[in-house]
Amino acid sequence: MQADSVIEIRNLTKVYLDFWGRKKVRAVNSLSLDVKKGEIFGLLGPNGSGKTTTIKMLLGLLFPTEGDLTVLGKPAHDVSKNERLGYLPEESYLYRFLNADETLEFYGRLFNMSAKQRKERRDQLIEMVGLQHARRRQLKEYSKGMTRRIGLAQALINDPELILLDEPTSGLDPLGTRDMKELILKLKAEGKTVVMSSHLLADVQDVCDRIAILYQGELKVLGTVKELLESREESQVLTSKLSDDAIREVEAVLKKHGASVRSVSHPTATLEDLFLKTVEESKAHPGRRFTPDTKG
Amino acid sequence: MEFIKDFDIKQALLHWAIVAAILVVLGALLGLVGAVTSAGIGRGLKAFGQMLGIGLNEIFVIVPRRILAVTILTVKESIRRKALMVGGVFLLLFMFAGWFLRSSANDTPAKPYVTFVFTTTKFVLFPMTLILACWGLPADIKDRSIHTVVTKPVKRSEIVLGRMLGYSFLVTILVALVGGIGYVWLVRQVPESSKEQLIARVPVFGTVRYLDRQGNPGNLVNVGDTWDYRSFMEGATNARAIWTFSGLSEADLHDDGALWMEQKFEAFRTYKGVIDEQIRFSVEFVNEAKKLVVPWDVFPVYEFSASPTLPLMKVPRELRYRPLDDADGEEKTVDLINDLLDNGKLTVRIGCIDAQQYIGVAQRDMFLRMPDRPFFLSYLKGMMGLWLMLLMIVVIGTTGSTFLKGPVCTMMTLGLAVIGVSGLREFMTEQLQQFTQNKGYVVGGGSLESLYRTVTWMNQQSPLPDNWGTRMIKTIDLGIFRVLELLQGVLPNLNGFDTQAYVANGFDVPFANAVLPSILTLIGYLIPCYILGYFALRVRELEAK
Repeated sequence: MQADSVIEIRNLTKVYLDFWGRKKVRAVNSLSLDVKKGEIFGLLGPNGSGKTTTIKMLLGLLFPTEGDLTVLGKPAHDVSKNERLGYLPEESYLYRFLNADETLEFYGRLFNMSAKQRKERRDQLIEMVGLQHARRRQLKEYSKGMTRRIGLAQALINDPELILLDEPTSGLDPLGTRDMKELILKLKAEGKTVVMSSHLLADVQDVCDRIAILYQGELKVLGTVKELLESREESQVLTSKLSDDAIREVEAVLKKHGASVRSVSHPTATLEDLFLKTVEESKAHPGRRFTPDTKG
Repeated sequence: MEFIKDFDIKQALLHWAIVAAILVVLGALLGLVGAVTSAGIGRGLKAFGQMLGIGLNEIFVIVPRRILAVTILTVKESIRRKALMVGGVFLLLFMFAGWFLRSSANDTPAKPYVTFVFTTTKFVLFPMTLILACWGLPADIKDRSIHTVVTKPVKRSEIVLGRMLGYSFLVTILVALVGGIGYVWLVRQVPESSKEQLIARVPVFGTVRYLDRQGNPGNLVNVGDTWDYRSFMEGATNARAIWTFSGLSEADLHDDGALWMEQKFEAFRTYKGVIDEQIRFSVEFVNEAKKLVVPWDVFPVYEFSASPTLPLMKVPRELRYRPLDDADGEEKTVDLINDLLDNGKLTVRIGCIDAQQYIGVAQRDMFLRMPDRPFFLSYLKGMMGLWLMLLMIVVIGTTGSTFLKGPVCTMMTLGLAVIGVSGLREFMTEQLQQFTQNKGYVVGGGSLESLYRTVTWMNQQSPLPDNWGTRMIKTIDLGIFRVLELLQGVLPNLNGFDTQAYVANGFDVPFANAVLPSILTLIGYLIPCYILGYFALRVRELEAK
């Protein structure tokens, strides 16, 4: 295993069989990739591309048909690797009859943490995910967003080196999504490695260092976000506001150098930015409302 | 006294070791075949070896803290899912049970009350235990909540043990609660006149041999009863039943200085006679070393009494008698301990007095009664037997739930339990004993032969016609018997855990012969079930639909 690799996948194949042992679906086909220490790695693909299957094989929930998997220097089936690993499943499969405190206490007991450490970590995580007001309510009373947040808290209970997030922003509102993305970046800043699978491409683009795109179980694309998305066939220049005359002069200069102008327009912010800005302003000025004269 | 059985611990351990060894070898072969079939010879052998190594490590190297976490989770899950509402059902039954048990004459013996408490406890707690043990893990797997557990550094063995311990804890609490309520109810409900039957007698059994009607060593007669537990001796003949009790000393005398004896003989009348007068038997003490025969007294059989306890025969320390061969001679006195015991052995000879009447005897029909133990202790041990039986259900149910879905696991566990508590297992044992002793012959044949005989209206004694069909039937039946022989060592005998008969009949539950076998049986099943449950969960893809 390479020194800086946290996950190594070699020729990984997973074939689902039916009851009679006949091949049903080839979910993953000869997949090979590495995840480096300290990076945020995105696993993308449409539904049924093998993302979740790959993650589950990394966790030992499924067994590969062929190939080798090494996680944190140990085979994927080695339970001891889970000491340094955290996992947030796609749906938060938690025990709905427990409350937040009990949930984190239960998962904390599964690690080598003293009672004092567990308590400190519990309080820290519940505050981090913003569930102080609901810590004594059973999870069955939680909203989807709250359930995702407690799910994230349990994934981080052991302060893991490697975190696997399956659709981390699924079900979250834009505020929750922003918080999740900030958290993921914070985890990276702390030196942790994050592997996230998602089909919400904007979220992946914002945080991931490298991505892999799977399709029908096969690796189609692998590389850094910058390398893969940068279009070297075009150039983009962002300026302050230009008058029409200035625009015409710029176009003429570009034409003189042999470049064709594809479009000239005002850049747009993302809908997410607008939403977040609106929410922030509403918090600052609670009484303000929309009127036809108000611009966004 | 047919519920009283002996237990040979060495034989039991040897039997367990043999069955366990066979199961280990079979299990390993099965695993090897599975690995090679699914992954080819090379990869399969490697995977098998790897799995074996991982398995040995994960089975024996476990962390109590993690097991405790799963145990606490299991208990909370059961309580918060209202699985313990069954206690309410129990209370309801007890509130009204007294109406149906008490007779107007107020002389109901204590036995039905005791039986009611134990039976109700069993039938109320059994389904609850079954559902808890069989549905917990499958629900966890179906809901995928187990994903967030197995992705922590928790071994499958710790999950299996944690679940077993959690359900065991709940069962313990419930048995304690229900048993406590049952005891209070029992003590309050039993009529005053029958309260003396709430005792815990401590019997010391001897060995028995018989003299036939000529006075020669041999057997007594069968009076036509299909159940051959008892043999019958004819009155006014030389037929005798001779008991020998060993290991006695002065310390076995009661405070009144007497040795207490009890009997539960049966009577068989060849003619009605005077129905109010009981059939009588004589009691003699014999010391063969000193050539001493001491006739003591004559007692009635109490053939019509329904009470589990009968009037005692108190043998005084000093016995006055006239020798049998000198009826007119001087009365002599012997000391029970110094004169009648022969190296701690006491020989008691029983004979039927009344001509043409018979007294039925069995080895355990007569016993020496040591100082009684408190009834509460016996009740507690009886409840312990029930508790151990429920723990067996927990062990089997939890193990089954590692590889079966909830409903299927419930059916499997229920099926095993029914075989274990009904007469099916004993029937199977009888058939197999016949099969072994008669070199493959069983009256009426095996399953297919019995079916053939039923359909063709053939009786059990007629030989089958010799053709290819009947030969095939016999061959298949032989195979079935061989399978049953293997299964017999594996199917649990839950009846063995049931010690309520001791309590209901006023006997102390003996630890060595009743409680210890149950404990060892539970441990004997726990070990392989734990291993099986671990491997079943380990090789299972938890995400597979």
